[in-house]
Amino acid sequence: MTWTKWSYMDHWVTQTPQGPLPPQFNRAYMDRYLKQLAATGFTGFDTFFFTLPALAGMYGSLAGFEQRLREVGMEKITGLFTAYPSATAYTAPHVRETHDRIFADCEYTANAVDGLAVENFIVMPSSTYYQTEPVTDDKIKAMAELWSRVGEMTLARGMKTTCHFEFWGAIRTREQLDLFFQYADPETVFFFCDTAQHTIAGVDPVQMFRDYRDRCTGFHFKDTHTVDTNEAYRTPPDPEMMAPGVDRWFYEMGTPGGLVDFPALMREIVTSGYDGWLTVEHDKADTFGGSYAEATCVAKWYIDNVLAEAQAEAEKELSTR
Amino acid sequence: MKDTLRWAYALNQWNYRMDVFVRHEHQLRALKTASALGFDHLELSSGMGGRWDNLGRPEVILANHGDVAGFRRFLAQGSIAGISSIFWDPGLPTEEEGYAFLMSLDPSQHERIAAAARPYLDFLSAAGGEQLVVRPVASAWMTGPLDDDAIGRVAALWNRVGELARASGIGLAVHYDCLSGIHSRAQLETFLSATDPALVGLALDTAEFTIGGIDPVGFYRDHADRVTHVHLKDTRFADTGEEYLMPGAEATMLNGGGGRRIERWFFELGTEGGLVDVRAFVSELRAHDYPGWVVVESDHGGEPAELVMLNSWYVQKELGASR
Repeated sequence: MTWTKWSYMDHWVTQTPQGPLPPQFNRAYMDRYLKQLAATGFTGFDTFFFTLPALAGMYGSLAGFEQRLREVGMEKITGLFTAYPSATAYTAPHVRETHDRIFADCEYTANAVDGLAVENFIVMPSSTYYQTEPVTDDKIKAMAELWSRVGEMTLARGMKTTCHFEFWGAIRTREQLDLFFQYADPETVFFFCDTAQHTIAGVDPVQMFRDYRDRCTGFHFKDTHTVDTNEAYRTPPDPEMMAPGVDRWFYEMGTPGGLVDFPALMREIVTSGYDGWLTVEHDKADTFGGSYAEATCVAKWYIDNVLAEAQAEAEKELSTR
Repeated sequence: MKDTLRWAYALNQWNYRMDVFVRHEHQLRALKTASALGFDHLELSSGMGGRWDNLGRPEVILANHGDVAGFRRFLAQGSIAGISSIFWDPGLPTEEEGYAFLMSLDPSQHERIAAAARPYLDFLSAAGGEQLVVRPVASAWMTGPLDDDAIGRVAALWNRVGELARASGIGLAVHYDCLSGIHSRAQLETFLSATDPALVGLALDTAEFTIGGIDPVGFYRDHADRVTHVHLKDTRFADTGEEYLMPGAEATMLNGGGGRRIERWFFELGTEGGLVDVRAFVSELRAHDYPGWVVVESDHGGEPAELVMLNSWYVQKELGASR
């Protein structure tokens, strides 16, 4: 049986009477968006912390929003994404003096989804590399302390705090990743595998999953065509949108030139016994006139055809062991 | 789609200008989009031919893919199993026909039109398609009022093409549209009476019927035996003021709003305020064990992939099919 727990990370732009805008434009557009995802076979919905007020406003409450998800054929909000990409005087995960503020923010967000069955509280564990460097052992330890504390709080609310690493973040190399997970509480801090981000940073996402299987609680399935070999990751003011020489880092699955070995990852997932959500993320799919809708369909075609075959192969191999 | 009905999707919405839907990698994204949403057969549209209309005119398809087997391999790359049909308007000038405006009202052109149908029939036959869907006559603002004699002349042409189609193992489905010179229910029934049911079927387009003032559910109920092809789409408006007679109605009515500033006539299934009772229509198809293709069509209503997604959602969640 093909994998049924596919969720979609909420990046989307659609054409509205006021020009291209996210579907949170109004409830009618949001409804269309949800139906579009449901039609394609996604049943989980991942979104950002800052979207929650708009969803609650349009649907009366977040419970009302989840009810609408079920009405169109989806299941629930599966993940909530929060981040402090820019280090500020108030919030910088590597600065212990800002931890109380970050913790309070996270507690506020976690409380907002109280009563729902959100599974992942997805965080960027660091701010930008260039604002954090030199990246020292102690700074990584400080970040691990913060997310261990937040993880304990979210776990008490039924959500796993799970760390999503950026190629431009302060924890990016395999050594830094390993050190972070050594310091972070294994009971409260989990791993979220973004296939493109790790690949850009020169880290093999399949090997990361293999090594951190027991702490892995989710994935962003997205592709890239470029490994950062020119230290774009440490380039101010923003490596993700403004890196010299790279106009677009992220692609949907199934494009020519994609570097992520998704079939290998899928086989590894099946073999490992992982049974959680797999999330498709299309980050900046509208670069150069692309369409989020089409990128989503093309990725789902890849899931239904290429990944389904990889899954079947792995299951067959398992059954013959 | 897994269903007792056979579902296909019309590709025409992607090809909105002659040079935008030409490269194979772009076309494959459309094929994958349809496939991911449960549609594994497609309806092609003949277009204006030439090197850039390479998913419509058979000669150009073959120039791109070598032979029919090559074309089918191309479709398979996007998990498309085949084509249901090709839509052809002989009144639309094509490069391969010397940009002739072929007029079905003129019997002296019938031989030429019948010959022009040949490439489509041959291609459909070789490619496993089933229906050649044709626009039977030009727009009413061009033809003027058509009496029974005029409709009979048009019918004679399509009987002749229907014979060629039958010899090729292909069905001929005449498509009603809201601008057509055959406009009223009475005219359409006259046309059906004048054609041989064994040779000429009807392509019932739910939105076109509704805009033209014909109830598609009632018409289907009365003429189910003649309906051999379906285009399923919705509309929010009907032509209540004979707007189809406006000069240049393609631009002045369908695109220009017909004096009411209607920006868009055709809508996806389930649209708010839709006039087509889609559920009732599909129930009638099921009740009659309709054996033909149900081609869902977006017809330039917005971003193509978004519309296929919305239509797929409706077919799955409201009409009982599954992806």
